[in-house]
Amino acid sequence: MLFSYNWLQSFFKEKLPRPQKLGEVLTMHSFEVEEIEKEKNDWLLDIDILPNRGPDCFSHLGVAREIAAVLNLKLRFEDYRLKEQGNKTKDYIKVMVKNKEECLRYTARVITDIKVAPSPKWIQDRLKALGLKPINNVVDISNYVMLETGQPLHAFDLDKISDCKIIVRRAKKREKIITLDNERYELDKDVLVIADSKNPLAIAGIKGGKRAEIDKKTKTIVLESANFNQRVVRRGSKKIDLRTDASWRFEHGLDLDLTETAINRAAYLMEDIADGKICQGLVDFYPQKVSPKKIKLDLDYLEDLLGVKISPMKIKNILKNLGFSVSQDSSSSQLLVWVPTFRLDIAIPEDLIEEIGRVYGYHRIPSVFPTAALVPPERNLNIFWEDMTKKVLKEAGFSEIYSNSFVNKKEAELFNYKDSRLIETDNPISADYQYLRPSLIPNLLKSVKKNQRFFGNIRIFELGKIFKNSKVKEKRALTGLMTGDVFYGAKGIVDMLLNKLGISDIWYDQYQPTPEESKIFIWHPKKCAEIKVGGKEIGFLGEISGKVMEDLKLKSRIVVFDFDFEKLQKIASEEQEFKPISSYPSAVRDIALLVPRDVLVVDVLNKIEAAGGRLIRDIDLFDIYEGEEISEGKKNLAFHIIYQAEDRTLSSKEIDGVQDRIIKVLEKESGWEVRK
Amino acid sequence: MAKIDLKTIKNKAGKEIKKSQTLKELDRVFKRYLGKKGDLSWILRSLNKMPKTKRIKMGKKANQLKEFLEEAIAKKSGEIRKKTKKSSEGREWFDITIPGKKPVSGHLHPLTQAKKKAEEIFQSMGFSIAEGPELESEWYNFDALNFPSEHPAREMQDTLFIKQKNRERLPSTAKLLMRTHTSPVQVRYIKENQPPLRIIIPGRVFRHEATDVSHEINFYHVEGLMVDKKISVANFKAIIKEFLKRFFEKELKIRLRPSYFPFTEPSFEIDFSCPMCRGKGCSICKKRGWLEIMGAGMVHPNVFKNAGLNPKNWQGFAFGVGLDRLTMMKYKISDIRLFYGGDLRFLIQF
Repeated sequence: MLFSYNWLQSFFKEKLPRPQKLGEVLTMHSFEVEEIEKEKNDWLLDIDILPNRGPDCFSHLGVAREIAAVLNLKLRFEDYRLKEQGNKTKDYIKVMVKNKEECLRYTARVITDIKVAPSPKWIQDRLKALGLKPINNVVDISNYVMLETGQPLHAFDLDKISDCKIIVRRAKKREKIITLDNERYELDKDVLVIADSKNPLAIAGIKGGKRAEIDKKTKTIVLESANFNQRVVRRGSKKIDLRTDASWRFEHGLDLDLTETAINRAAYLMEDIADGKICQGLVDFYPQKVSPKKIKLDLDYLEDLLGVKISPMKIKNILKNLGFSVSQDSSSSQLLVWVPTFRLDIAIPEDLIEEIGRVYGYHRIPSVFPTAALVPPERNLNIFWEDMTKKVLKEAGFSEIYSNSFVNKKEAELFNYKDSRLIETDNPISADYQYLRPSLIPNLLKSVKKNQRFFGNIRIFELGKIFKNSKVKEKRALTGLMTGDVFYGAKGIVDMLLNKLGISDIWYDQYQPTPEESKIFIWHPKKCAEIKVGGKEIGFLGEISGKVMEDLKLKSRIVVFDFDFEKLQKIASEEQEFKPISSYPSAVRDIALLVPRDVLVVDVLNKIEAAGGRLIRDIDLFDIYEGEEISEGKKNLAFHIIYQAEDRTLSSKEIDGVQDRIIKVLEKESGWEVRK
Repeated sequence: MAKIDLKTIKNKAGKEIKKSQTLKELDRVFKRYLGKKGDLSWILRSLNKMPKTKRIKMGKKANQLKEFLEEAIAKKSGEIRKKTKKSSEGREWFDITIPGKKPVSGHLHPLTQAKKKAEEIFQSMGFSIAEGPELESEWYNFDALNFPSEHPAREMQDTLFIKQKNRERLPSTAKLLMRTHTSPVQVRYIKENQPPLRIIIPGRVFRHEATDVSHEINFYHVEGLMVDKKISVANFKAIIKEFLKRFFEKELKIRLRPSYFPFTEPSFEIDFSCPMCRGKGCSICKKRGWLEIMGAGMVHPNVFKNAGLNPKNWQGFAFGVGLDRLTMMKYKISDIRLFYGGDLRFLIQF
């Protein structure tokens, strides 16, 4: 909000610091001054008034009060006397408020014999500098007083008001009004209006209407200075999508006692500038009067909370400069503080401590390490396992990506996520952010698409939250992918990862999609498997189907592993036990085995292991071969079998015995042949 | 004769071993004495033709000599090898400027690294790490934190709300939204844990905001909370200064400015001296010399109440720092969107 330096200066006898310096002072003690600009022979300060200070500081007076407190100066008010004459205001106008919750105070004055003309230059200059267009002396004075005190005012031409009645009521459905700027608004019952006995004259707290506009012929005016309920103004202004200087001030709340000060100030200026005659008395609807709040402030608590000792003298002075009244029993460390009614933001002792702290200066608070019991921080297992997982994948050559937590409708459809299981945002910024991501896969594939032009082999992963409309709505997923014909490579990564997380007993189960699933299945129908540990599924490994690849214009094949990280973490373990290193030599024997093509390697391995018993330390499948020299429908599997005992050197006789036993077991299967 | 022979052999062989320059020469010496037809071998073979007493005496000496010669040859051979290796290594041509072969390694996201760093700094000062849900209820995100029911942050233009049936009629504990800050976890944590407490809460937060170089729809906060009997603004200053110093590995100045948050009182905004220009003014800090880095304050009594604590007994500070911004500052990254775009050309730099 813009403020005029000269105007602020007018509240003080002493010379204020230069604009730049004043800006710094305000920034450190009150509000951030965002910009200072020279404007003719004045400077404009763009001050970011904090939202809770709207009630008192959307005004030059309010900011001047801040300056007074911060610089310890005395505020100076212009001294004026109202000359009331002629008839009584209440003889001209009747005010009726339908609901006292919606209009908390309505103060009116009538001024006669007004001479409508352009306002004097000094008023025009101040309005223009602050971005308001001068209209005529009546309107300009209303605006001027608003900028000065923060109270929005409105002037009606009394002769245009039917039956001399002002009624504050809700608009009727489809009731219409044409505002001062010739815009037409259709209202409804959410909007509060100022009406006469016939039609709306103004949208309460938001904008005046054309009907009772001040024009050159206006002689008698009704000046309105009211306090409308913040919520009602906010709702109304939102409803008709119209925000004004007035509505903005009402939305932030205003001091109920301000209506009177402001209306008197405006009346005085109208008399002074527009030759008006002020009728006697106020018409004042003010059912529930405000009184200053009283707060007890414990000075020990103040010292404890700020961490600095400030003298009671200084404290009292700060509060008084801000407009508070203070009393203290000589012996007690407690202050009794009365809060001025314009400080709607002050309710508890902590609010006062903030006032004292900031005016005193936060920079004067030393930095002191707390003294606290030596309690070691708790270990966070979630973070421990996340870090561990990321480290393992990084070592395996994977780069970590972060993606947005959203997917669009097309992605949701492509991946066949059921509508009922998706969580949808109510107000997405764009269609791309319509749903919370139910899986990390779509965004990882997007990243591949982005990177495939620049990188041959892509290995990426993400560990983040996914969302589903079920009992548990949010959980962590770990998803990684590799490009290329690398199913077994990815499978090896999964094994390594799980081993490093202390998980063994890993099992891959062929996945059979249901007929319904298979139509829009994102996985390659054969190259996919459930990853199971101890019989429980914890993740999925698979190559992305050709259809998805085509739809997303992905060039290389992609193998994805996708874990429920919550499940993964539950079975992860840091426990590990050292296995003694055998001091006896190991021996290697090979077996080449010809089997029908559809025999699973795992079945062969199980047979070898069962037949070999404890002397086998490891079996290594080092070649799979089909083709030339191998009969049709068969494949050759070649294994290194590593023998070792922990307690002795194995003799070749002993090893040969076991090897023969294995060969016999393998050859028992029909169609299996050990090649010699 | 045999006795003399052994001595002669020892002398002769010893000299020849000493004289040998190459392995080949040495091999010849070996063959001459210890080979199948070698002199010493001949003697050893002839032993069994001797009478028993002589055989024992002679055998012992011959075997000693054999061991002695073997040892001498082995020693000499080692010397020769060492010498020749040295001279040939010296002659080899080697170019150390050829680029090294790098193993393929992955990369951790810069935000992961920054988060880790923040976690380590705070853990070293006794802070535990807490977490909470990203999909949050309106009660925890706003009500519990003392946001008045008509606060502008609750409006559609700031917060991402979740579509729910009859949303209007649900209580705020059931109305869902994407959390706009990590502060709800303050309340969640205090509900479960008795003070004194010291925690940080890193996590993803969301705003209803059009994206540009400095705004994203999701980003990261690190929330901090310290509650005890007498925690003060002075304590906050010390902790946060220490954090920034360790994070940027430089001594940085901070300043507190008045601010307003519904859940802290007093509230302040924290600026720190621009780490790029050390406060002199540059393009990063827009010539101000200061950068706004976080919001903070002393926990509002209503927040303690909402979390089930008696505010008379406890006080403390809370702060929320934008991790993305800190990380951008640290690595001089100019566009926040790079963090969430999955572009490897960016990510592999970290």
